[in-house]
Amino acid sequence: MHSDPTDLIHRAQQGDRTAFEALYRAHAGRVYALCLRLTADRALAEERTQDAFVRAWERLATFRGESAFSSWLHRLTVNEVLLGRRAERRREQRVVTSDDPAALERPGGADASSGSALDLERAVAALPAGAREVFVLHDVEGYRHEEIAELTGIAVGTSKAQLFRARRLLREALNR
Amino acid sequence: MTGPHRETKLNEYVDGTLAAHDRASVEAHLADCAACRAAVAELRSLSAAAASLPKSIEPGRDLWAGVETRIAQRATWNVQRLQWRAALAAAAAVVIALGLYRLLPPSTAPYRPAGQGWAAVQADFDRTTSELGLVFAAERERLRPETVLLLERNLAIIDAAMAESRAAMARDPASVELRGLFAAAARQKVELLRWVVRVAAS
Repeated sequence: MHSDPTDLIHRAQQGDRTAFEALYRAHAGRVYALCLRLTADRALAEERTQDAFVRAWERLATFRGESAFSSWLHRLTVNEVLLGRRAERRREQRVVTSDDPAALERPGGADASSGSALDLERAVAALPAGAREVFVLHDVEGYRHEEIAELTGIAVGTSKAQLFRARRLLREALNR
Repeated sequence: MTGPHRETKLNEYVDGTLAAHDRASVEAHLADCAACRAAVAELRSLSAAAASLPKSIEPGRDLWAGVETRIAQRATWNVQRLQWRAALAAAAAVVIALGLYRLLPPSTAPYRPAGQGWAAVQADFDRTTSELGLVFAAERERLRPETVLLLERNLAIIDAAMAESRAAMARDPASVELRGLFAAAARQKVELLRWVVRVAAS
């Protein structure tokens, strides 16, 4: 069944959960892919995907249609992931070790040491978090540095530096 | 070009963000440097590969049920908040003012009206918490059971701490430390009840 997206959004804004579920079905894959690449953790990506849709439900009234719904949802998702990451840092419960800049440059587990078997997705997942986020947002999702700076709270120059670092680490990993 | 400067220039070149004269300078360098040409080719290839990664990945399980449960819970809370709002708005203004006035941090003690000592403070606290307690008892049926349970558990802990302080103060009425302990627990109780009122009225 194909429904008009504008109608679905309007109905969801009126509190129609069936319409919101249809929006979820249409966008879940896109949101999950973004969460998965930003977090490099399946369980966390599932959690953040749910967080993003709950937040979208809460904020639907603020969506005025100036941008595409998918763009609005995307930015909201990025915010949720980054907010979640900051909260985790505060709680000091994070177990992912990829914040270590040298993580990709030293011998790792079976995946990291398998040379040519290392594909781009896995290499991206193994990047340090800051570099991974900027690479995903810039090179995969097509955000500009100014937008990344606004979303993440870092300077434009830092965004560029993280991107160039990510590319260097990826080239090294993929050339092993 | 060498080191970080080289890396930055080549990346900016690939991204098309160099000024015209820098771009011309890099292109002149590339004409003579095979290593940099190879690096540019790799960077272009990497960016193209990243841009062509699948934009959609289906989660390994259906996440809708979890989303639906959470938004349904929030809808219930919103209804409860609306129900509480009318009943508690007036009470909040009066009771919070009464309760917190006496139980502000010690730094505000000099501003208490003259002649109202520790006994008056305790009496005021008792009256305030009693009024808040009555509001809580009257409205508890409208709260979620888990919320009531949590509130009751926390109130019981605070009440136990206050009872211990009262008993100790009965043995040593002049102890400043014991009064401090009692006041700290009392502030916690008023804050907790105030939180309930604030959430309900928000």
